[in-house]
Amino acid sequence: MASGGETVVEMRGITKCFGGMFANDDIDFDLKRGEIHALLGENGAGKTTLMNILSGMYHPDSGEIFIKGKKVRIGSPRESLELGIGMVYQHLTLVPTLSVLENIFLGTNRKFLLPKKEAEKRVRAISKKYGIDVDPHVEIWQLSAGEQERVEILKLFYRGSDVLILDEPTSVLSPIEIDDFFAVLKSMADAGKSVIFITHKIEEALFISDRVTILKKGVKGGEIDLSGIDIENEGARLKEKIVGMMFKDASFSEAAKEESRKISDRVVLALDGIVAKSDRDVEALKKITFDIHEGEIFGIAGVDGNGQKELAEVIAGQRKVESGTITLNETEITNRSIRFINEMGVFYVTEDRIEEGSVANFSLAENAIFRCYRNEPFAKSGILLNMDRIKNYCDGLIESYSIKAQSSDTIVKTLSGGNIQKLILAREFSYCPAVLICNKPTHGLDVMTMQYIRNELKAQSEKGVSVLMISSDLDEIKEVSDRIGVIFKGEIIQILPNRGTSKKQIGRLMLGITD
Amino acid sequence: MNFKRIAGTAVGPVFAILSALIAGGILLLIIGFNPLKTYSQLFSLGVGTYLGLTESFKRMAPLLIMSAGLIIVFKAGIWNIGGNGQFLIGAIFVGGVAPLLVDRVPLFLFFIVLCILGFVGGAAWVTIPAVLKAKYQINEIIVTMMMDFVAINFSSYLVRYPLNAQPGRFPQTILIPLEKRLPNIVFTEIHIGLIVGIVVVILAHYFIKRTTLGYEFRFAGENKKAAFYAGVNIKKVIVLAMLLSGGFAGLTGAIDVLAIKGAFQAEWNPGYAFSAIPLVFLAQLNGIAVIPLAYFFSFLSIGGEFMSRAAEVPVFFVQVIEALMLIFFGVSEYLKKRSKLFCGF
Ligand SMILES: Nc1ncnc2c1ncn2[C@@H]1O[C@H](COP(=O)(O)OP(=O)(O)OP(=O)(O)O)[C@@H](O)[C@H]1O
Ligand SMILES: [Mg+2]
Repeated sequence: MASGGETVVEMRGITKCFGGMFANDDIDFDLKRGEIHALLGENGAGKTTLMNILSGMYHPDSGEIFIKGKKVRIGSPRESLELGIGMVYQHLTLVPTLSVLENIFLGTNRKFLLPKKEAEKRVRAISKKYGIDVDPHVEIWQLSAGEQERVEILKLFYRGSDVLILDEPTSVLSPIEIDDFFAVLKSMADAGKSVIFITHKIEEALFISDRVTILKKGVKGGEIDLSGIDIENEGARLKEKIVGMMFKDASFSEAAKEESRKISDRVVLALDGIVAKSDRDVEALKKITFDIHEGEIFGIAGVDGNGQKELAEVIAGQRKVESGTITLNETEITNRSIRFINEMGVFYVTEDRIEEGSVANFSLAENAIFRCYRNEPFAKSGILLNMDRIKNYCDGLIESYSIKAQSSDTIVKTLSGGNIQKLILAREFSYCPAVLICNKPTHGLDVMTMQYIRNELKAQSEKGVSVLMISSDLDEIKEVSDRIGVIFKGEIIQILPNRGTSKKQIGRLMLGITD
Repeated sequence: MNFKRIAGTAVGPVFAILSALIAGGILLLIIGFNPLKTYSQLFSLGVGTYLGLTESFKRMAPLLIMSAGLIIVFKAGIWNIGGNGQFLIGAIFVGGVAPLLVDRVPLFLFFIVLCILGFVGGAAWVTIPAVLKAKYQINEIIVTMMMDFVAINFSSYLVRYPLNAQPGRFPQTILIPLEKRLPNIVFTEIHIGLIVGIVVVILAHYFIKRTTLGYEFRFAGENKKAAFYAGVNIKKVIVLAMLLSGGFAGLTGAIDVLAIKGAFQAEWNPGYAFSAIPLVFLAQLNGIAVIPLAYFFSFLSIGGEFMSRAAEVPVFFVQVIEALMLIFFGVSEYLKKRSKLFCGF
């Protein structure tokens, strides 16, 4: 840890306005050599915007930037790269059909022929130096989110960046991947690189960083130097302090699941011996059998990539079942159309909010009606869209989920990551469905919103909605579930009651250790 | 607010048109023409004469109808670029069947039946690429383009042999008598195809914007994965959008035969699709914006034709202008994107 090192980045009085709304308002920020500096703040607080300014994506309306003491004007991402600043975006930007090496080349190579050999050698050297472990020849689509994150970092090192901006790198990682990832961060900082690290998990920020800066609705809420602070003992107090800096009225309670809840005997959703293939045409689900009762929250715990996505898709009708049956309220829905299953009352919050859960160029209103655009009152006799009704409805969702957007006509791609997630949740939650499938419902949400969503899930289950809750976050699973199924290599290897089961027990099962 | 939005979208095309005219002027200078004189001639022939005006308005009809179909299919993210072939099939259907009906049914029914027939002909021609795309994900660009060549040869065969009115003379179908052609708009010499064109392009615009099916088309065009997730039947979208666009191309052929040509002639291939494609992109797939731009395109092509006779400027000079417009439009889009990136509007 190198606090007191030379200042490599200094941003002074940064202000950025989007059509009358201040995303950043007079923000000061600085970064030292070898420092890990966490940036915290609620959804839409302006974290990504501030970093986009540093990486040359946006130009500030006012304010100054100094790199190693020299005043600069960063006109484009290229200029920022040349200054040694590299950013990994909130939503990963690798090309799935290209190999790791080819992705690393993209945008950097100026030669006519790709200098493959030479580059591969450099990539391997960098991998070794920082302990970033990836095979340069595999194609991106075969990698997990954690591995992709590493490729993004590798790419920045290849380009010679010594200031790395990582926008919510951990929100898509599973706990084990996070540990590996932190090890990489540490080795980077020790080698004199500086890291800006955006996260919503305050514990992570306290654990890994030397300093934290907090943004609150576009202004700087505070800054805390963590060097020399005993996190073990002071962690709880610090967390409270930070939450206080992030939100106006910070009063939230982690209400644990009421353990003595009586669940109805009625089975709503039953899966029997489900087998299905993944996109890579290998068997992703191997004879999955379980059922969910009315008003029950059934948690699926597992390390990412063990069939969670396929499981959700099979129920929602998005993926073909090879064998086995799915029954919803005594009606068989195996391999029925997505629309039919949806009309039967199955709603699905996908984990992929950018590619699948929303349309970037549609307005909020158009994104809000994915599931209901054919129905009265949104469409007259199923043909003519009633835009006023649609906007009203969307305004209601914006209001009740406090989505930060200018209006229902706003284009979704201008929303912050967390606010897009809120919009998707609002849309799928608002029908009081029979079955609600949630895959990582709270990823990218700030602590308050996360708690709101978890409480909302519990409230829905009280109303009789059956919830399938998929998450790699054990705390989340423990907090909301009635029963927990552990998925490993496409099989539910054990189903346990939440009560009386420890996190450690589940953690071991997640790695496939049954004894 | 609304005005600002309209002005904002108009900036691109206006910039493109002006830059294309300037660059075209430089080209004229290089090949030894006086640009000012050439342009003033172009404008005076195209706008300044009764004939020029009338002919330009008449030329709008096919461009508008063709554009209606293209807006729909491009919004759905599908590249039907075989409009010319679909046009020919619609036209030969009408040219072949019109003589059979012309004295047997009332005139208005005659028009309606033949317009429908033209539509069906164009739609039928696009079924093969549509099904190939929907069922087997075969690239529609290649198939629709190849079907163009087939359409040229197929219609050429039909007009030379089975449908030839007078074998031995220049091959064409039996001529529809002048009094049985599409009527003119009152007080003008412009046939009502113009009104049909304006109506269908406005309908296409609102269809895309305001109907559930139009929403599904845009949805699939913007993000297929999300559309699938929301339960949109992507195959249905592909087939319907392609059939509609093929149908409008065929209708264009029907109107041209019924209003102007009176028959299908061999070697006839006006290539409206290749003007309509740049046109709808300049209009940013907005049906309302298509209307003034269609006038401009018609004026260019009519003025250009007249000018080539009067001033020896090659007739393809207007095509150079059309191409330049598209290039400059691309430039303006790029500039807009950059400024959006940096100014946040
Ligand atoms: N290009 C843009 N046009 C208009 N508004 C924008 C644009 N980019 C960001 N905003 C707005 O600026 C605000 C800050 O957004 P930003 O993405 O910086 O938030 P964030 O702190 O990263 O939030 P999250 O944790 O949800 O990712 C948001 O209200 C967002 O809607
Ligand atoms: Mg963000």
